[in-house]
Amino acid sequence: MEFLLENILNLTGFLVGLGIGVMSLIGYKNTGSPTLFRLTVAFFSISAGFFVIWAGYTAEDLFLHTGSIEGWVQTLGTGIQTVGYFFIAFSHSIKSFFPKSAHFRMMIPLPLFLTSSVQLEHIFRSMSFIFLAYGAIETMLSYFENRNRGAISVAVGLGLLALGEFLGWYSFVFPDSILYPASMVSRIGGLIALFIPVSRVPLTRVRFDK
Amino acid sequence: MAVYRTHMKIIGEILETTQADLQDGNGASVTYLIRKANISHSRISGILSTLVSQGLLEQTATSGTNKYKISQSGREFLHAYYAFTKFADSFGLSI
Repeated sequence: MEFLLENILNLTGFLVGLGIGVMSLIGYKNTGSPTLFRLTVAFFSISAGFFVIWAGYTAEDLFLHTGSIEGWVQTLGTGIQTVGYFFIAFSHSIKSFFPKSAHFRMMIPLPLFLTSSVQLEHIFRSMSFIFLAYGAIETMLSYFENRNRGAISVAVGLGLLALGEFLGWYSFVFPDSILYPASMVSRIGGLIALFIPVSRVPLTRVRFDK
Repeated sequence: MAVYRTHMKIIGEILETTQADLQDGNGASVTYLIRKANISHSRISGILSTLVSQGLLEQTATSGTNKYKISQSGREFLHAYYAFTKFADSFGLSI
């Protein structure tokens, strides 16, 4: 059951991320908007992250049978997704996320060399949670300003993804509980909610620039 | 409270004005665009020359004054602008 959910989640994430990424890329090619460029990077990253996990698990199950790569694949995929979530949050103008001092900036990657893959996954999941929660709150605030109903769906989607990341992170504390399947269901719901308003954008006469 | 407009939004408003509010068949004058798009003369001059060089606007000189008309590429850009403004709005963002 868990394996099936994992596969559904990764394939949905790959396809939804790819779909929104391609749409953002078409928008960027047509308008040259930097916001759409950031969304393109964000959603291609999210799509690639889900694909890495899906491909890793599938390769392990069908061909490799080593029993050792799953942890690293999960960490790598989660890390790539975190980059995508960062760009979504960054689009909402995070101005004071990084320390201003160059010396402190140099220290940022240091923890990544001092931790195991499991600890790295903890770090990525907690960062993803922060980015997604920030994105959900900002999107909901923009709904109160513009009353664009699509923003509610995106805010709910980002919120469910954030909840999924939180539950996924918390399931390390209680392994083999219902938390991990609940995390996957929440994330699948979030991805679907994210795609609903995007699927309604009229693209009939929009084309790539020559 | 003053609402901040992105560069893209200003371009959209200028193209929108040249498409919808033409005073005559020759196009809109700079003064008319300044008033309708609510932008300073120094800023609009640069934007108009960029839009003309990109082929989004057509410039015509009538009785000593420059007038601007939206081109076919400009119409296509405006269509894309509307579609992707809605797309970005869904994410709570401005293009």
